[in-house]
Amino acid sequence: MEHQFDAIVVGSGITGGWAAKELTEAGLTVLMIERGRKIEHQVDYATETKAPWEMPFRGLGDAARYAREFAVQRKNRHFTEFTEGHFVNDRDNPYETGADTDFTWFRSYQLGGRSLTWGRQCYRWSDYDFGANKRDGHGTDWPIRYADLAQWYDKVEDFVGVSGRAEGLAQLPDGHFQPPMALNCVEQAVRETISTQWPERCLTVGRTANLTEAKETEGRSQCQYRSICARGCSYGAYFSTQSSTLPAATKTGRLTVVTDAQVAKMDYDAATRRVTGVRWIETETGARKAATARLVFLNAGAFNSVHLMLNSASAAMPGGLANSSGVLGTHIMDHANTLSAIADFPQFSGHTSFGNRPTGIVIPRFRNLDTLDGNGFTRGYSYQGGALQSGWTRGKRMAGTGAAFKDELQHVGAWRMVLVTFAESLPRATNRLTLGKRTDPRGVPQIEIAFAHGAEERAALVDAKEQAAAMLTAAGGVVRMGMDRPGPGGSAIHEMGGARMGWDPKTSVLNRFSQSHDVANLFVTDGAQMSSSACQNPSLTYMALTARACDYAVAQMKLGYI
Amino acid sequence: MTIERRDFLSGAALLALALGIPVAAVRLSDIADDDMPSPRQRLLARAVSQIVIPRTATPGAGEVGVGDFLILALAHGLDGSREPAASGATPTGESPPLRRDGSLDHLVWLERALDRRSGGDFLGIAPPARAQMLAALDAEAYPPGPPPADPSPWQTIKGLILTGYYTSQTGAAQELRYELVPGRFDNDIPLTPGARAWSSDWTAVEFG
Repeated sequence: MEHQFDAIVVGSGITGGWAAKELTEAGLTVLMIERGRKIEHQVDYATETKAPWEMPFRGLGDAARYAREFAVQRKNRHFTEFTEGHFVNDRDNPYETGADTDFTWFRSYQLGGRSLTWGRQCYRWSDYDFGANKRDGHGTDWPIRYADLAQWYDKVEDFVGVSGRAEGLAQLPDGHFQPPMALNCVEQAVRETISTQWPERCLTVGRTANLTEAKETEGRSQCQYRSICARGCSYGAYFSTQSSTLPAATKTGRLTVVTDAQVAKMDYDAATRRVTGVRWIETETGARKAATARLVFLNAGAFNSVHLMLNSASAAMPGGLANSSGVLGTHIMDHANTLSAIADFPQFSGHTSFGNRPTGIVIPRFRNLDTLDGNGFTRGYSYQGGALQSGWTRGKRMAGTGAAFKDELQHVGAWRMVLVTFAESLPRATNRLTLGKRTDPRGVPQIEIAFAHGAEERAALVDAKEQAAAMLTAAGGVVRMGMDRPGPGGSAIHEMGGARMGWDPKTSVLNRFSQSHDVANLFVTDGAQMSSSACQNPSLTYMALTARACDYAVAQMKLGYI
Repeated sequence: MTIERRDFLSGAALLALALGIPVAAVRLSDIADDDMPSPRQRLLARAVSQIVIPRTATPGAGEVGVGDFLILALAHGLDGSREPAASGATPTGESPPLRRDGSLDHLVWLERALDRRSGGDFLGIAPPARAQMLAALDAEAYPPGPPPADPSPWQTIKGLILTGYYTSQTGAAQELRYELVPGRFDNDIPLTPGARAWSSDWTAVEFG
């Protein structure tokens, strides 16, 4: 059959951008379909240079409208009056939750997806992570190991531009880094204390997709230390689809982009056992459209890719496309996270800093490495956070009025350090996505999320609170508070799984190349493919897996298998 | 006393003219009819803002339109001010002033609390006494020790006054310093005594 495109990529976020870049650069014609609006780099970052006094609600936004239209998104710490245009309208894009499920699903439906709003932390996974399921028996064994991915990590880091410091840690492999951003005085002191008292632990600056050296051939400048990334960055100083992968894909002349197009279904031909294309709804007009291709990449975001597969059930595949195993939708995960410690560091009151560093620090996993030393948990956790000097908003918690109060708030406040834990989420069959009972405003069946953190994650957060307090106290901090209960599911914005990789087609959806066991020309290379969650931020691994899958898919096409 | 929205808007412009409030600073037209303040409430919001942040080397909060920002912010529920009311109860036992949606009408609460303390008309007493009265209310709202489980509505009101001031051009860029594009990161420099803080340190603003 004649196809309109060599490949269709569903979604334009972090992995969709990578798929479009890799496939077009390999010579394929590609249609990239995005459900949200078009956002043009530099031109459409409408609030980027606005001051608070230029905004109707001074940057806080209209809380009453947010309660109506952004009931979930408003809970995201990057959601402000400046960035609201980069988050989805919850009222128009509903989802359902199962009984006893509290899940805050943070989404960005627009060209570039969450690449515009992400936290930019880039961490390699190690064989402690890829070997985790096999070691403790939770989930299914990953069909890959670090060696399979190392060269792809190299490739994506070189293109993304990741600043960070090499530390030689087995559990957090070093990568191809640009020069690191600096620690501030408190973070440096805590780093030194930790390395002295806990030689196996390390505090290092966050490895972040913010350039410390310009990538001039790609038109990207170095970071200006504004730390307002989620508004969009005209300097192109952080990695986003707009700053990086989209220009590369566009340059090939082989990319077609359609926006405002919600993909509702994939077409499947039972005779050839191939997907033949996708169908979408123009969200502005309601018109129905379709396109055909030899190859389909799903990059809609973990839950939405699974959602699309469930919605693509057919007579031949009644449980959902590529779901002969019956595990599609199961084993979803999201890191259990909480604020483990806040400590005061009054002894640094003679020091300050200038500029807004767009990353914090990381203390990589130190539990359950070569020895299983977790009390009630077999996986890992790591901390992110940093030290800061409080600003005028501290006045909201202080007694005082009048000139003396005003004079006090004119100066920076005390140093504090914050540690937030991300604990590995175990893959569980009961945490799953199914089709819901209702349809969205465009008539597409909604997704239902059933999710709960388990005893292991809670035990990890209990340990994390104790260890955070111990480290900060040892460094001279005065711990003010800490928590050990996880936030709602989705809080980490690392939701993943649902179309897991595995060796066995009977118990997994994808093979070791992110390719459907059932449907050879279908690849799922976003978070849906993950078989375990590790405790690192996952985006870099999604990118490496996407580049690797593209390379494999193109080779399979050339051999005539696809 | 109720007034028509149209009357209010024209009255507001006259009042603003008389007080020197920049009318454009806040769009009161963004406020629903039910939440329209009385002229007296508007004067009160301005006066209270000015007491919290008075004129020093830079203008005070009332002078830069924070009273109107407070009214707008309360009407639109900023900082959780339109969540279902937890409190607002008064020492005399009268019921708290609730809106139809069950949230506390902070402006009415403030008006009643200050009038009661001043024996009738807060705006009618001498400015030094007003400042003392507000300081007493503030001290009660922030008792020593752990934060109260049921915080005084004054905490929300004061918080929004601070937001209004330090996000105004005067507060952000004259009283404090504002730099949208630092261009570099100096990780450890001496803190000069008296140095003004950066209103553009977004992490500090977020975490307080």
